[in-house]
Amino acid sequence: MRKKKRARIKIIIVAALALLLLLCAVFAGVLAPHDPSAPNAAVIRIAPCAEYPLGTDNLGRCVLSRVLYGGRTTIAATFLLVFISFAVGTLIGILCGYYGGIVDKLLMRVADVLLAFPQMVIAIAVAGILNGGMTGAMISMGVTMWVSFARLARSHTFALKNEAYIQAAVFAGKSDLYILLFHIFPNLLAPVLTQALTQIGTTMIGLSGLSFLGLGVIPPTPEWGAMIAEARAYIQIAPWTIMGPAAAVIITIILFNYLGDAVMDYREV
Amino acid sequence: MTYLLEGKNLNKTFREKAKTTIALSEVNFCLNKGEILGVVGESGSGKTTLLKAIAGMLKLDQGSLFYNGTEYTGQKPRQTGQFLQMIFQDANSSFDPRMVMEKSLIESGRREKNPERIRQLVQLVGLEEELLQRKPAALSGGQCQRMAIARAFYSDAEIFLCDEMTSALDVSTQARILELLRDLKKEGRLSAVFVSHDIALVSMLCDRIMVMKDGKCVEEGEISEVIRNPSDDYTRALLESARRQSIQEPIG
Amino acid sequence: MQDRILEIKDLQIAYDEELAVKGANLFVERGEVLCIVGESGSGKSTVIRAITGNKQIKIPGGQILFEGKDLIPLKNRERQKLLGTRIGLIQQNPAGAFNPIRKIDKQFRETLKSHRLPFLKEELDKMFTSIGLKNTTDILKSRPYEMSGGMNQRIAIAAAMLMDPELLLCDEITSALDVTTAISVTDELLRVKNEHRTTIILVTHNLGIAANIADRIAIMSKGEVIEFDKADRILHDPQKEYTKNLLRDVPKLSS
Repeated sequence: MRKKKRARIKIIIVAALALLLLLCAVFAGVLAPHDPSAPNAAVIRIAPCAEYPLGTDNLGRCVLSRVLYGGRTTIAATFLLVFISFAVGTLIGILCGYYGGIVDKLLMRVADVLLAFPQMVIAIAVAGILNGGMTGAMISMGVTMWVSFARLARSHTFALKNEAYIQAAVFAGKSDLYILLFHIFPNLLAPVLTQALTQIGTTMIGLSGLSFLGLGVIPPTPEWGAMIAEARAYIQIAPWTIMGPAAAVIITIILFNYLGDAVMDYREV
Repeated sequence: MTYLLEGKNLNKTFREKAKTTIALSEVNFCLNKGEILGVVGESGSGKTTLLKAIAGMLKLDQGSLFYNGTEYTGQKPRQTGQFLQMIFQDANSSFDPRMVMEKSLIESGRREKNPERIRQLVQLVGLEEELLQRKPAALSGGQCQRMAIARAFYSDAEIFLCDEMTSALDVSTQARILELLRDLKKEGRLSAVFVSHDIALVSMLCDRIMVMKDGKCVEEGEISEVIRNPSDDYTRALLESARRQSIQEPIG
Repeated sequence: MQDRILEIKDLQIAYDEELAVKGANLFVERGEVLCIVGESGSGKSTVIRAITGNKQIKIPGGQILFEGKDLIPLKNRERQKLLGTRIGLIQQNPAGAFNPIRKIDKQFRETLKSHRLPFLKEELDKMFTSIGLKNTTDILKSRPYEMSGGMNQRIAIAAAMLMDPELLLCDEITSALDVTTAISVTDELLRVKNEHRTTIILVTHNLGIAANIADRIAIMSKGEVIEFDKADRILHDPQKEYTKNLLRDVPKLSS
């Protein structure tokens, strides 16, 4: 019991920090001291000071403001992508696991093929074909992301459908749809949601990575990966321009990964 | 004469790659109203397969099943559930872990929901009403098994199919469940097929017994007759081990 | 003369804060079978866990004397040395003790190797025969998943007997088995006792099983040993109401 309590406290603390981060992104408009995309020739590449806490970049734009606004783009895209993959993957997984048969075999082989390549390689290829843009980047990541959800949901459904309580529901004359909605889905939601939490970090790296490669957002929209790519050119004269977005990426990813782990630990204790 | 439940010439073979297992071979059985038929055998004897076949959970290779003289061979659990209910070995897992008992029970009813009747049934099986608001994890194995009996009654099924329903329980809990079943039988509320590996248990509850081995019925008859006068060697072996495991001297 | 191979004195065992065993007193003499009988939650398996030094429990008080030496203050290393060589353990689920897809042969060799003992087929043959297992060669060639629960449980006994322990702890090893299989497993335990003079502690919820093999019986309820004596006395002249009920609840053939 004590272990469980400790795990719960850990989750609350990490979740609070994650929430704070989300609020920073949501209220970027209020918090940002300057316009994130307004160039200012008078303040090019200034080191951090009171006016510009994280310095300015090559075009004299406030790095802090851009990091805050960039968070919006990155986090919103990440959440949307994780949610869609979660929904699509879980739906496919449940149906495959429950009904089995030829469709299940086919979809699972497709999943195997997709898993055979590193996720980023496929994402780069697809994003290249789709010619960049945030939507393109999201689609290119989504192509492989649903797989992990589908597999997890499928294996849980597979185990659940042989449980005695599912049999009991069948004897009570309940329809497949009823069983899927009210018995199977609620019972596999927890593990699949945990999986979604742990996916947030990697998705964020993926999206930032694509932007870094020029396959994501189109400048001047602020986005962490794109900012790092841009600042790379003058990293020796103005290292702060890269520090801001890099720190933001690292903190966010650590935070969400840790949150996912904490929740997973909690469920195991 | 028509029986409440009857099976004629039931055959089932499982084929798995190189291995074929004959799970049921020319098995016949019948069950009268108000009667409990015991099916005894070791694991792998086909007794659980028989139960699943009766319930329509698996497809028979051959044979026919009758309920009140009407054939229902080939019906799936959604239909057979109208007149029979399965009571499983692992009582806790026969309830959705996320639902309170009351909801699970309501769900099993095929008529309009009747919370008053659920309360009566829960009392009938010797439980307190408060337990209805709990989830299965908060109930003991014995309490869950009683709930399963209440659920089977609420579903209006006429026949109970009990699959090793007490083997996961402590000896004492098992004895209490057995008492409950005997009382229900005395009141004429119970017609059941009771599958167990324990012939002693079966002898305390059932009217007739079927001994199964390797998918065949090796002996069948009135329970007292079979115990006094077993005709098959296997039945004798079962009785011998049951005698050794029970404490013979009765105590005051 | 009394030769108490294991003696438990005022043993208290706790999970987290709660006491699961509240001061148990027990002993078993060399070459005897002691059965600890109780319902689930009575603390009977917890006692076995205390002997094997399970990490999840705390022992606020009492002694576990093995040949007069207290096991509780032992360091992990010393305890490990004792377990497996002089004290054997068989659990309810034999699958937990074996790798399901590795040949029995390999698993036995590994166990012997880790105790720096040679793998001698003849010795093994002799041991297998002594506990009633035939076809040593066939058994060694097979894998646990291919065999039935009863067979696995018998092999688990054989594995525990590899080291020829003086004390064999059996935790509910018959509960998942058919009546006939359970009887054959207890028969094997009896043979182990007779041929190897091994002391056996068997934990079970079924007094019928205990009646079959026990020399001494301890009845546990709610963390306490409520009755402890020679098996004959407990079975024929139980003092406590609880014990009488347990006796009554064992299924009996009736006609």
